Amino acid sequence: MKARHAAIAVPAIFSVMLACLADQGQTSTTRTRTPAERTNGEVTFTRDIAPIVFHYCSPCHRPGEAAPFPLLNYEDTARFARQIAYVTEKRIMPPWLPAPGELKFQGEMRLTDEQITLFKRWGEAGAPRGNPADLPPAPVFAQGWQLGKPDLILQARKPYLLPAGGTDNYWNFIFPTQLSGTHWVKAVEIRPGEKRVVHHANVLIDRLHSSRRQEKQPGAGFAGMELRIESETFDPDSHLFFWKPGSIPHEEPPGMALRLNPGDDFVLNTHLQPSGKPEQIEPSIGLYFTKQPATKFPMLLELQNDRALNIPPGAKDFVVTDEFTITADVDLLAIYPHAHYLGKELRATATKPDGTALTLILIPHWDLNWQAVFYYEQPIFLPSGTKVAMRYVYDNSAANIANPFHPPQRVVGGNRTTDEMAHLWLQVLPRGTAEEQETARRNLQEAVARHDIARDLGDFAQQYNLGAMLQARGDLGEALEHYRAAVSVRPHDAIANNALGGALLAVGEASAALGPLRAAVKAQPDYFPAHYNLGNALASLEQFREAAEEFRKAVRLRPDDSMAQANLGGALAESGELEEAQRHLERAIQLDPRNNVAQENLAEVKRLRAGGPKP
Amino acid sequence: MLAVLSSRPLHAQSNASVRGVVDLQGQAVDPFHRSPGKVVVLVFVRTDCPISNRYAPTIQEISRRYKGRAEFYLVYPVKSETAEEIRKHLKEYGYQLTVLRDPDYALVKRAETQVTPEAAVFSADGKLLYHGRINDWYAEFGKSRRAPTTQELVDAVSAAIAGKPLTVASVPAVGCFLPDRP
Repeated sequence: MKARHAAIAVPAIFSVMLACLADQGQTSTTRTRTPAERTNGEVTFTRDIAPIVFHYCSPCHRPGEAAPFPLLNYEDTARFARQIAYVTEKRIMPPWLPAPGELKFQGEMRLTDEQITLFKRWGEAGAPRGNPADLPPAPVFAQGWQLGKPDLILQARKPYLLPAGGTDNYWNFIFPTQLSGTHWVKAVEIRPGEKRVVHHANVLIDRLHSSRRQEKQPGAGFAGMELRIESETFDPDSHLFFWKPGSIPHEEPPGMALRLNPGDDFVLNTHLQPSGKPEQIEPSIGLYFTKQPATKFPMLLELQNDRALNIPPGAKDFVVTDEFTITADVDLLAIYPHAHYLGKELRATATKPDGTALTLILIPHWDLNWQAVFYYEQPIFLPSGTKVAMRYVYDNSAANIANPFHPPQRVVGGNRTTDEMAHLWLQVLPRGTAEEQETARRNLQEAVARHDIARDLGDFAQQYNLGAMLQARGDLGEALEHYRAAVSVRPHDAIANNALGGALLAVGEASAALGPLRAAVKAQPDYFPAHYNLGNALASLEQFREAAEEFRKAVRLRPDDSMAQANLGGALAESGELEEAQRHLERAIQLDPRNNVAQENLAEVKRLRAGGPKP
Repeated sequence: MLAVLSSRPLHAQSNASVRGVVDLQGQAVDPFHRSPGKVVVLVFVRTDCPISNRYAPTIQEISRRYKGRAEFYLVYPVKSETAEEIRKHLKEYGYQLTVLRDPDYALVKRAETQVTPEAAVFSADGKLLYHGRINDWYAEFGKSRRAPTTQELVDAVSAAIAGKPLTVASVPAVGCFLPDRP
């Protein structure tokens, strides 16, 4: 009897690095010039100042929100009149990074020059109140959850204790979900805990529980500025769930919900700034479901050039660029530029095939503390063949206040706060039918991976991703090249070694598969797929006793996996352990009555145990 | 008693300059006449200023360093802050300093204070030697260094205790503007 081997389980890794997302939730309003602007008359609170304060300041400057003092009425505002004039004139407040341009963003929080002048004149005039009849209605804010009661609230399992002093902290919380069945998430509202110390926070989905490995104890959370989430498939992973002071959660339009599988984790990345007293940070996230499954799958295109980040101390204008040609017709929905503390000027442009150039975003004075995801007011159509480019300028001189080193030191690319980053994410929605969109997404993913590899053969994640993409479409030969490249970058990576071993097995090179698969189980002894694949490789080489050992380990890790039980039964049968084999084969069928491999093997085992001749 | 009082050194400034200065019980306090012969340091803070709050561990640490050698006072100049709010604030931020309220800005004027947090160092005979920032942690609203690169307050206190001349008399502080003076 020959034990049949099940399809080889090769989970793919898809590495996404996203951090510190944030956005504005306000809607912008068009406004007309106020009487004071037109007449140069006296500037009053009720007529001129209140409308600006209520729209731009009050969303954060109110009890329970991030700002340190309220700005909700005349008294609140008048006592800070001079300071408001100062911070608005310097455009420190309200915080809004992009320069005004041809493309408009949702919730722009940029004051006009006229509005700034009004604050100045009002302060100089001694902050007069004005005619009470002029006062617009006070703004009304939702209390508690901004989108109403969530369908599911997840609480942090363990609070994080932020020390009173010291430098900025980055802490990550894992929120397991325990739902049965697939759910569709249209919005995630983040309640970051003590808002006065949380600069921003963002949520990523972790379907493989890859972040849990970073926790010292389950539920403890872990430090780190950037998250690296592994995912199993070409999940679009394109939903940007973020929180920044004053933001109202972004609700995905119909058909663009995020799929939530049973057991998926959410990981919350927070940027915390010590307040002077110890703070207990205990975030929660609220999930809002919809019955409507996703039919539109936006994706994130990532431009980045961290490898070019090797900034000598003292350099004031260190330039890093990247460009990428889009291989499908897409609509650009949102943009998220990201650098650390040395970033100075961040710019992204698009050049369409007809030569039209667009500035997608220009941030003339980058400030990590106010980073955000920026949603366009209208989607920007970018036809296939459009070249998108980023150009980031860095200041590693002592004149850069945010410089993490004093005196300045050489800074390179990396994930730590003292490293630098040069990333730009574009959230795009491919056009066309569902099938065309699917093809476009795959093409874009592949183009991005090839683009990154062309720049850096040592890009582990993209070598791996490209291997997985090629394998998925059946191009095993080329897939093997990229898996090999990934393993050569990280020889002890369990997932890459497993993928390489699995692909070798799939092309019939079982003996060549043994090395990488053994490396995978050694690197991560609790990694089920590697034991399973190693069992299969050994069984192919008719080393059934060793195969049985590996399947046994696989079964110990996932006792309810029908195929692992079936293969263990098969390998035991081949080793002559018929009684034990029968037990596992029966278990396999119990777990999955349609497991044909188990059924055929069980029939064979029963025949042999009844004294039938060996085939 | 009379003999003790008359033995105090004469000060350049009169008591009139500390009009309205009280402790948390509302008792009048004259910081310049409480510890004869000692350097006096005033650190101005308020309960609702995030910059002065972030400085709490630093202020506490610096005052501890000079314990017995200079008299440190934590001064709350904002009139609308109640004694109860201040007590709560002290507890939350772990302050161990002697607290003064300065609702009439007598100390603010004498120390030439503009914002919180801001410090002032006086010689034992009440002369203003230094006023301004504690250090250069903040360069602007919302723009702080990872760690300060200067220590103006520490330098000033050390020089004042040693009786050495100060190199810097004043450096503007970054912080919350005081509500317009009463």
